[in-house]
Amino acid sequence: MTRGAADWLTALNELGIDRPVRIMNVCGGHERSISAAGLRTIIPDTVELVPGPGCPVCICPEEDVYEAIQLALNEDITLVAFGDMLRVPVNVPKREARSLEQAKAAGGDIRPIASPIDAVRIARDNPARTVVFFAAGFETTTAPVAAMLAEGVPDNLLVLLSGRLTWPAVKLLLDSGTPGFDALIAPGHVSTVMGPEEWQFVVDEHDIPAAVAGFTPDSLLAAMYSVLRQLRDRRHFLDNCYPNVVRAGGNVEAKRQLHQVMNVVDANWRGIGVIPGSGFALRNEYAAHDARNQFRSYADASRKRVGEMPPGCDCAQVVLGRIYPNQCRLYGAACTPRKPIGPCMVSDEGACRIWWSAGYRENQWDGRKKSSAGG
Amino acid sequence: MCLAVPMTITTIDGFQCTCEAKGIEREVSLFMLQHESLEPGDHVLVHVGYAIQKVSEEEAADSWALFDEMLAAGI
Ligand code: SF4
Repeated sequence: MTRGAADWLTALNELGIDRPVRIMNVCGGHERSISAAGLRTIIPDTVELVPGPGCPVCICPEEDVYEAIQLALNEDITLVAFGDMLRVPVNVPKREARSLEQAKAAGGDIRPIASPIDAVRIARDNPARTVVFFAAGFETTTAPVAAMLAEGVPDNLLVLLSGRLTWPAVKLLLDSGTPGFDALIAPGHVSTVMGPEEWQFVVDEHDIPAAVAGFTPDSLLAAMYSVLRQLRDRRHFLDNCYPNVVRAGGNVEAKRQLHQVMNVVDANWRGIGVIPGSGFALRNEYAAHDARNQFRSYADASRKRVGEMPPGCDCAQVVLGRIYPNQCRLYGAACTPRKPIGPCMVSDEGACRIWWSAGYRENQWDGRKKSSAGG
Repeated sequence: MCLAVPMTITTIDGFQCTCEAKGIEREVSLFMLQHESLEPGDHVLVHVGYAIQKVSEEEAADSWALFDEMLAAGI
């Protein structure tokens, strides 16, 4: 541990927090740092760190993954997607392709990419072929997709957009009346792009302390100290514990590009439902590059468990911080990173996968799965 | 997908640049940072191939140390 982190830890212990406090984070990167550094074991027992909605892969609508699979199998296209998306399972009968990975094995031309730049390159190298970029992600990942389109892409590159905003999910929790947390650590890189101001509502409308954090133990402990001290002093505000990177107003140019290319719309979250103003859709000016516009829809409302998590998977509860990953009955039993059942075990940002990789092996499912950690 | 990594700019050609971190080279877009003046040697936070913010040398060094720890921990 660095000197800075040790100092923050001392300060945090000296606050003398004697009542239970739950601090939620809403970023897979934060959860990864917390787990990797073992922060849960060194902070006071009274303080719980709850992973919340921080995994865009986990909440990407099941219908959208299904759509991507069908496009790849039925249309004459190349489908590209961030690698994490390839193993996300959908609910279909056994003989059908359950993931993009299986669709690829069944002959679909599906390729993992690491950047929108790769999508542009593949389209440019194959001018006679239609390339569909299945783009899921939160603001940090959706902004580069907007930048790509704003800069200009080849005619044969289309986007199947599943972009989501993080803060409306936190608002949903707060509006529910049982948010399940007393303080919030706001996401560092979402705030880098969108500006920390997006999180002001947490303090102003719900009187919950919040602090933007970076990804080092120093920054995370500083943010925890900040919100705990705010609670102790009953003076709540939005703190910025990642000031070298997160600046007032965020990345103005990136926000301009987002606005130029996309609208904010009501959007569906897998296993959770529609959250108002939580999604991005391409503006009409970009309809020629909108896969939803250029292909027929393969949506099939009669499909069994359409939109839901796989049977037995509690990802939606995990994403909302209602239960911890190891309170899912399948955690570590039927579901491991090698044989994942749900998206939270597939994605690098899924809490289940992060916890398993960090060595949390104990399954604490107690038969009361719905409310053990939350509210 | 939301984790961004600091890299050092080596060459710039319009909105495209080459960045380096820990011996790894990447093609990076500066399109989202067109309001900043950037030159080789500057550090930028790179996410899915796009620079999202200019950062200081100290900030870059902190993050690199963190990634080493996470790699070592296998997380
Ligand atoms: S352990 Fe597996 S099945 Fe359970 S919530 Fe996590 S991903 Fe879903």
